[in-house]
Amino acid sequence: MCSTQKSLMATEYSTEVRMEPIEHRFNPYQDNGGTILGIAGEDFAVLAGDTRQTVGYSIDSRYEPKVHDVGDNLLLSANGFSADGVELVKVFESQLKWYHFDNNKKMLVHSAARLIQHMLYKKRMFPYYVSTILAGLDEEGKGAVYSFDPVGSYEREQCRAGGAAASLIMPFLDNQVNFKHQMDPESKGTKRRPLKYLSLDEVIELVRDAFSSATERHIEVGDGLQILIVTKDGVRKEYYPLKRD
Amino acid sequence: MSQDPSTYNGGSAVAMVGKDCVAIACDLRLGQQSLGVSNDFEKIFHYGHVFLALTGLATDVISVHENFRMKTNLYKMAEQREIEPESFANLISSSLYERRFGPWFVGPIVAGLNTKSGNPFICGFDYIGCIDFAKDFIVAGTASEQLFGMCESLYEPNLEPDDLFETISQALLSAVDRDALSGWGGVVYVITKDKVVKRYLKTRQD
Amino acid sequence: MPGLSFENFQRNEYLVNQAGFKPPRATSTGTTIVGCRFKDGVVIAADTRATTGPIVADKNCEKLHRISPKIWCAGAGTAADTEMVTQLIQSNLELHSMSLNREPRVVSAMQMLKQHLFKYQGQVGAYLIVAGVDPTGPHLFSIQAHGSTDIGYYMSLGSGSLAAIAVLERDWKQDLSKDEAMKLCATAIQAGIFNDLGSGSNVDMCVMEMGKDAQLYRSFMTPNVREKKQRNYKFARGTTAVLRQSVFDIVEVVKEEEIPVGSSDAMDVDH
Repeated sequence: MCSTQKSLMATEYSTEVRMEPIEHRFNPYQDNGGTILGIAGEDFAVLAGDTRQTVGYSIDSRYEPKVHDVGDNLLLSANGFSADGVELVKVFESQLKWYHFDNNKKMLVHSAARLIQHMLYKKRMFPYYVSTILAGLDEEGKGAVYSFDPVGSYEREQCRAGGAAASLIMPFLDNQVNFKHQMDPESKGTKRRPLKYLSLDEVIELVRDAFSSATERHIEVGDGLQILIVTKDGVRKEYYPLKRD
Repeated sequence: MSQDPSTYNGGSAVAMVGKDCVAIACDLRLGQQSLGVSNDFEKIFHYGHVFLALTGLATDVISVHENFRMKTNLYKMAEQREIEPESFANLISSSLYERRFGPWFVGPIVAGLNTKSGNPFICGFDYIGCIDFAKDFIVAGTASEQLFGMCESLYEPNLEPDDLFETISQALLSAVDRDALSGWGGVVYVITKDKVVKRYLKTRQD
Repeated sequence: MPGLSFENFQRNEYLVNQAGFKPPRATSTGTTIVGCRFKDGVVIAADTRATTGPIVADKNCEKLHRISPKIWCAGAGTAADTEMVTQLIQSNLELHSMSLNREPRVVSAMQMLKQHLFKYQGQVGAYLIVAGVDPTGPHLFSIQAHGSTDIGYYMSLGSGSLAAIAVLERDWKQDLSKDEAMKLCATAIQAGIFNDLGSGSNVDMCVMEMGKDAQLYRSFMTPNVREKKQRNYKFARGTTAVLRQSVFDIVEVVKEEEIPVGSSDAMDVDH
C-alpha cells in the first residue's frame, strides 16, 4: 500500500507537502572503505592493508595505518567502520596486558583468536562493524591466519581477504595460493596441481599485485600499502605506494 | 524481500582480447534466488560471427536474444552480409536505450573479430545501453566483482589463443566459485580468424 | 518506431513496487567535468572514470561528446543518458542547421538540450557543460538534469565539482590565454581525479577557438598509469580441465565466381 503510493509522490524539488511523516534516525555506523589481506606461509605470516580512509566519495586520510602489531608476535586488523576497528584493537591490547599480568606468559595465536571471538560476541546486539583478521605463528612455528565475521564466528585459514575489495581479491588468492582450478598440465585434467608453501618473497609479490589490482577497480582502495610480516624473529614492516586516484 | 531483478536468476560472463583472437565465456547456472534450477543454461549466443553473452534476468535474456536474432536476420537480408561487431554493439545500445523507462534487466557483452580488418572487438553495456569499450576485458553478471579482481590481476595483452583460453577459464572458474549465484558448469569460446573452438569446463557442482 | 518505448514499464513497476524488487544500478559517470572561457575561445575537460557503485566499470571512457564540429559537450550523471541525449541533439542540430543553411549555434544546442531534459522532469539524468564557437562568438553553458541552465566564464559539474571549482576560483582570471585556460582546466580536473573517489584516470580536453577547427585532446594527461605487475600470471597450457570441445566455422564459405566487366557473360540490362 505504502510502496505503491511512494511512486506517486512529488520529488524533492516540489513545494507539495509529503503525505507521510519523515522518519529521522541516528545511524551509529559508517563505512570507511579499505581492504585487508592475510596470508600464512610455512614459517611466517603476513597481514597487509591499504592506508586510505574514506567516507562516501571523499578521502579522509591517505595514510591511516590499520594493521597493528599488538605484541606477542601477533598482527591484528579490523576493517570496516574504522572507529570500531580502532576500538577493537585497543580493547584487545588492554586485554593482552591483563593476560600477561595474570598468567605471566605470551599469548598464543589460537588463544588470541578465542579472545577476539568473545570480544566480538559480547557486542552481539550492537556489533563492531568490522571484518577482522589475526595473523601470527602457531605452537609449531607455522604461519597462522584467523578470520572473523562481525559477531565472532571464526576460522583458521591459509589466506583471507577482508573489507571493501575482499570479493575482488579472494578468488585471486584461491587461484594463486591454494591453486584452485589449476591442474597438472601433464595429467590431461585428471590430477590437481600439487599444493606447496609459497616463499615469503612470492607472498609479498602476490600481495602487492592483489592490492594494485584492487586499486584499479575499487574506488575506496589506494594511496598506500602496508605489509606487516611476522616470523620467529619478530615483526617487520614494509610500505609500498599505491595509485592515488 | 528486497531484491534486484538482475540477480534473481544468477549467472556471469566475461570476454577477453588476445593476439588476433577473442574469447568469451559464461557459467551455466540458472537459479531462483539460492535454489539451483538448471545447469544447462548457456548465456552466449551468436549472430553470424558476432558473439553475445547475456547475463541478468533469465526471461529477459531469452527475450532480448530472440529480439536480436530477428533484428540481425533482417539486417542480413537488407545488407546481404552478416552484421559486424561494431555495428552490433550500436544496435544493442540503441535497442536497450529505447526502453530507458521500462528496461530489460540484462548485462550484455559483445565479442568478435571484424571480418574486414581482422581486429578483435569486445565491449560491454549497462542495462540501459551505455557502451563500455575496453581494450582488455569485459565482465558482467552476479560475479562481476570477483571477475574484475581476477581479470585485473591475471590478464596480460597479446596472448595466443591457447594461452588466452587458460587465462579466461581460470578467471571464470575462480570467480564463480566465490559467488553463490554463479557456477554449475562453464563454457568458453575462443574465436580466431579461421575457426571457433567451444570448450565445456570441468567445474564444481555446488 | 520513433521515441522511447514504455512496453516493459508496467511489468517493471510491478516488480519494483509489488514483488519487492529494487531497480538495478546504471553506470554513472561519477565524474569531474569543467569548462573555461579564454580570450577568443572556450575549453572543456573531463576525467575518464565510469563507476557502478564503488566499482570502476570503465577506466578510460569518453565523457567529451561532439554535438557539431565546433560545439562540444562534457557530460556527468547517468552515463547512458549523457551519451544518448547528446547523440539525439547532435542529429537534430545537424538537421536544423541544414534547413537554415547556417552554422549551428551553441545557444540552439543548449535550448534543445534543456527543452528535452525539462520534458523528462529530471528522469533523464544528464548534467552537461556545453561549449563551442559559432558566428556569434565563444559560449559556455551548463545544464542541469531538470532543465535549468547557467552561463559562465568558468564552471564545473559532477561529484568532483567541488574539488575542481576550488582550483578554478583560485586561479581563474579575465582574458586568459589559450594555454593558460588549458592548463587551468587540466589542474582542475586533476584536483577531481585525486580528491574525489568518483573521478579518476586521465584528463581529456577539447579546445574550441574562433576561426579554427575544434581540437580534441584525448588523454591530454595520463597521470595514473598502472605500474608493472610483480609476477607473471601466464598459465601452462593444459592447466584448465576441459570436459569436451567442439570446433566449428562461423563464417560461411561462399564460393564466388568472378565475372569480367564488359564480357559477353555479363548481365544484359540495357536492352
